[in-house]
Amino acid sequence: MRAFRTRAAALAAGCVLVIALGGEALAGRDPIRTVAVPWAAAGPGLPLGADALGRDVLARVLAGGRELTLLALAAAAAACALGVAGGLWAGWSRSRAVRTVTALSDLLLVLPLLLVAMLAVVVLPGPSAVVAGTVLGGAPLTLRVVADATAQARHAGYVEVALARGERGLSVLCREVLPAHAGLIGADLGQRTVLAVQLTAALNVLGFGPPPPAPDWAAMLRENLPGIGLNPAALLAPAVALALLAGTVAGLSHVLAARP
Amino acid sequence: MSGRAAGQAVNGRAPDGRAPDGLTVSGLTVTGPDGAPVVRDLDLSAARGEVLALTGPSGAGKTTVLRAVLGALPPGLTRAAGRVEWDRAPLSATRHWRRRHVGYLGQDPSSALHPLLTARAAVLEPLRALGLPRAERPARAERMLAEVGLEPAEFAGRLPHQLSGGQAQRVALARALAADPDLLILDEPTSALDPAALATAVALIRRRRAEGRSVTLVVSHDGSVVTGLADRITRLGAPPAPSAPAAPVGAVRPADRITRLGAPPAPSAPAAPVGAVRPAAAGPADAVLAADGLSLDRPDGAPLLGGVRMTVAPGEFVAVLGPSGCGKSTLLRALAGLCPVRAGRATLLGEPLPWPVRDRSVRALRALALVGQDPLAALNPARPVAAALRRPLRLLRGLDRAAASAEAERLLAAVGLPADTAHRRPAALSGGQRQRVALARALAAGPALLLADEITAALDAEAAERVLDLLDGLRRDTGLAVLAVTHDEAVAARADRVLRIDHCTINDRRKTTDVR
Repeated sequence: MRAFRTRAAALAAGCVLVIALGGEALAGRDPIRTVAVPWAAAGPGLPLGADALGRDVLARVLAGGRELTLLALAAAAAACALGVAGGLWAGWSRSRAVRTVTALSDLLLVLPLLLVAMLAVVVLPGPSAVVAGTVLGGAPLTLRVVADATAQARHAGYVEVALARGERGLSVLCREVLPAHAGLIGADLGQRTVLAVQLTAALNVLGFGPPPPAPDWAAMLRENLPGIGLNPAALLAPAVALALLAGTVAGLSHVLAARP
Repeated sequence: MSGRAAGQAVNGRAPDGRAPDGLTVSGLTVTGPDGAPVVRDLDLSAARGEVLALTGPSGAGKTTVLRAVLGALPPGLTRAAGRVEWDRAPLSATRHWRRRHVGYLGQDPSSALHPLLTARAAVLEPLRALGLPRAERPARAERMLAEVGLEPAEFAGRLPHQLSGGQAQRVALARALAADPDLLILDEPTSALDPAALATAVALIRRRRAEGRSVTLVVSHDGSVVTGLADRITRLGAPPAPSAPAAPVGAVRPADRITRLGAPPAPSAPAAPVGAVRPAAAGPADAVLAADGLSLDRPDGAPLLGGVRMTVAPGEFVAVLGPSGCGKSTLLRALAGLCPVRAGRATLLGEPLPWPVRDRSVRALRALALVGQDPLAALNPARPVAAALRRPLRLLRGLDRAAASAEAERLLAAVGLPADTAHRRPAALSGGQRQRVALARALAAGPALLLADEITAALDAEAAERVLDLLDGLRRDTGLAVLAVTHDEAVAARADRVLRIDHCTINDRRKTTDVR
């Protein structure tokens, strides 16, 4: 049962990722060419109708997830890696430097994430701003969780035995503590990915994403909102795609975290 | 809802008006992830007022039976057949039933206590389900702590990491007993208790039996506890595992194990063979370990032990006894370099031994091996047994991967575990099996002194005997010395010498009969 759920979750997340990353090549449709009247309803040759400029909605949905997904995955990986490294260090050592770093990361938690992201957008170009926002908003959460788990593992028998056979701190952290908390970290990576997807979408809706006419799920939400009465599919399709991306990744991380 | 019907019968008398007749288990079969039975066709029954004991070799499924009775099998195990009835009604809605009727003491009390709850809060928790007025609960919790022999003024505010293994087990026992449950389930309730605490615990359980209202189910490998308490004893057989037959007891003679353990390392390894780590000097200074003036503090700064003076000679078996909480485990951890030492000097194999473990030479690290108290946390949950055994072999003895794997198999056989254990993770092992893996890991580097903290506490009599035989053989053939913290008389009886911790210091005495 467990193996089945793991496989099902991996399959769902895999399918969504394949479509998000390679949808344009799979579909063979042109996402930029005008093929119909604006907000034409679904019909033969246009399964999801047309958007504000008469472009094929299906083609744009299939092509519009690539950059957003890659960016979100990269940002989540960066935030999680930084948080895990900092958490292992903070949970293990009790030096003054550690206390300073944890205090700074707690300070970041106090600031509203969207405010931090908006500041980052002003200073940095769009993609870097997403990475910076996810790292600043997500890494402190990861750090807290991992630091707490590490501090508890310090007194576990297997860590004491490793120390007693002369392993250095870094070796104990990488060989003993990290594998023992792999499930926790997998779940955390899923959470950070969802956060990164949401942040990327939010910034792209605000127009900091790829410039028009390039297709993008988040930008499509903004472009097609006025035509909701004429062709709701133009708005719903990218929204469902965003939800599926976040949901399947979160589901996979959940299943992985529950493994014994 | 069927849960409601069952609940009525559970709460009151049996439907036909006869006296409620406790717990009945019939035809219980539990299967593992691969469909192989872990427990096969088991029948149990215990009327109210009875104490039923489950015994059997480690890995026979004792804990699994308890979990199946509770309706809380861990993932991977399924109840394939059988009925569990309480007062003649089949159990359903087990979570509510457990909350209202069951007191459970798990196998590993130091892991079972919540790390952020004080002893008082842990005992208060079941009282809430009982519906006791809020104001009366703290007094009742403190009375329970006093009954298990823990002075509330001193212990009620302590967190689990401030308790010794035996004290943690008594807190867990107080928690299990606090709500005076109809069904008390005790999994190795006395594994970490010293004789005085053991007597208190046994008296408490006897008193419950005399009241005649409640059912008690005990798993223990301590023969005297079982015979002293139980009305009936059910013995579980060896696990039916055709793919991995456990080596029959006695099939591996101690001598064979030694020659196998002591096999010279692969040619690539420059390290000396096992047992070659010998004292440099001869004569009276020939001790493996000598400590003088050793003083230890509690984490809060209060003195724990002072002026400890001790020597351990090669091949010697020294038992450390003392009431729980007196600093036995801390002494071993200090010798292993894991906790700060206020004062004192030590020499190991004739060389000065620095206290912090990071200042110690590879020779000193190889020569000292620690086996910890808590078999649940002793092994990394993420790593298979083989990986845990290979690491010290590669790090301290310099074996290559293939040689380390072969040596790991020999070590497993030496502690009496089947070869397929190597691929399992700790979650798939019983408490006794984990303890033996931890011992095999400690012996891997070929130590001159084994620091053993309650190594037989999780083992049944047979397995404990095997482990002690193995240690005896190693002592004879390689000069391994053993410093063992224990409360188990069988272990103390084998010791050459007994160190008693009384009043913050150690009395070193030749072996006496006055072990209790």
